[in-house]
Amino acid sequence: MASTVKYLRVPPNSASLEEARRRVFDFFKTACRSIPTIMEIYTIDDVVTPSQLRSIVASEIRKNAHISNPKVIDMLLFKGTEELNNIVEHSKQRHHILGQYVLGRPEITPDSATKDQGSEYLKNFFRSNYF
Amino acid sequence: MASALRSAILRHIRVPVTNSLSLSGSAVRSMSSHGDDHLDKQAVIDRVIHVVKSFPKVDPSKVTPDVHFQKDLGLDSLDTVEIVMALEEEFKLEIPDKEADKIDSCHLAIEYIHNHPIAN
Repeated sequence: MASTVKYLRVPPNSASLEEARRRVFDFFKTACRSIPTIMEIYTIDDVVTPSQLRSIVASEIRKNAHISNPKVIDMLLFKGTEELNNIVEHSKQRHHILGQYVLGRPEITPDSATKDQGSEYLKNFFRSNYF
Repeated sequence: MASALRSAILRHIRVPVTNSLSLSGSAVRSMSSHGDDHLDKQAVIDRVIHVVKSFPKVDPSKVTPDVHFQKDLGLDSLDTVEIVMALEEEFKLEIPDKEADKIDSCHLAIEYIHNHPIAN
């Protein structure tokens, strides 16, 4: 299947933080535009909505929002584009997508977050040997 | 049977053909099935507000047609891009980067979408 995501064929060094910022937004837009394809490939229409996937992508990007070195940002963008390409080319499978990006997020699977994990004794037991 | 009756009657009566559309008078393509070029402005406003309100980080009570995403709703630039993408999905558009950068309030979004000929 031809890759529908164009690789960021740009010089590997962003000239400035502003240019890196622009590239991050371009990457985000490319990812959002591939979301309908992804939902169709992996048939996750009944698990998440496109808007939730957009929020997931945004939160992943936001995890690295504190970085200020343009070269590090370029490297992260390269990894992100590679990941997006893998997903769009169906190199992954449904459980990869669901496990890595959908499950465990409190806003999407609220019931698992509030599950009772056990008594206070058990919590201490899991934490350490000595209590 | 009704069609036979109709043709029998029509054979004996002259029904005047009324030309209600004068092609020289109307500038818009009246036979076109494309419909209106522009969406109804109020419908655009309602749909844009609905999209902004459904955004999880937004407080729905603060959303008005004039709200600014970053100044009034306290979102950051990534959230603004996300809202623009949500609007692209809602109206089945693809907004070029230069135009998308300028959209940072509800008012500009409504104007852009209303003036876009393909917005659906």
